[in-house]
Amino acid sequence: MPVQVIVFGQLTDILGHQPVTMEDAPDTNTLIRRLNQRYPALVNAPYIIAVDKKIVTGNTTLTGGNAVALLPPFAGG
Amino acid sequence: MATEHKIRNIFTTGPISASFIADSIQKHDTKTNIGGHSIFLGQVRADVIDGNKVAAIEYTAYEEMALEKMHQIREAIFAKYPLVCMHVHHSLGKIAAGEICLFVFTSSAHRREAIDACTETVERIKAELPIWGKEIFENESYQWKENR
Repeated sequence: MPVQVIVFGQLTDILGHQPVTMEDAPDTNTLIRRLNQRYPALVNAPYIIAVDKKIVTGNTTLTGGNAVALLPPFAGG
Repeated sequence: MATEHKIRNIFTTGPISASFIADSIQKHDTKTNIGGHSIFLGQVRADVIDGNKVAAIEYTAYEEMALEKMHQIREAIFAKYPLVCMHVHHSLGKIAAGEICLFVFTSSAHRREAIDACTETVERIKAELPIWGKEIFENESYQWKENR
């Protein structure tokens, strides 16, 4: 199932502003591994992962209908 | 008394004007159970980094997630402090140095609750809302803002 990934902040310097579609991403660990292969600069970038607007920790199963977002350190205010 | 709050938009494109802030204060003159207001205003600072001066910060956000999170923060603050009301406005887009980008306004019967609630809300906004700032220098180069 393809998964749509959106990024924000400094990660737009690496992945751009448009959602990136990743094939065969059954879980977040696999997704990140594939993203790291496609975007080597992502490997050392700090971020947390949100699935459907909820921050997740640890490997999380993806169904294909999920909105996955990579969120670098927040800098509001 | 528990109050139900709906998800409100906090984002405004461009800077927050002094007249908007003044109008917001004025609107509270009918809420005579209020005895103290506390206001925090965040202003874009012209930091100088390696000889380059920040001319503006361009703010972006994961808006849907930020509004959901802000709703949770608002509920938690109302549960913790006896507030009469709370208003939060955060800028998006390019905000020039010297302009206001964050306006947090809390009101309660007595000053202590308004002050403490305002401080805690500002801290939580900075730590928990998915918002990013691109510091644009006078020479057009940029770096990504980091919160302390």
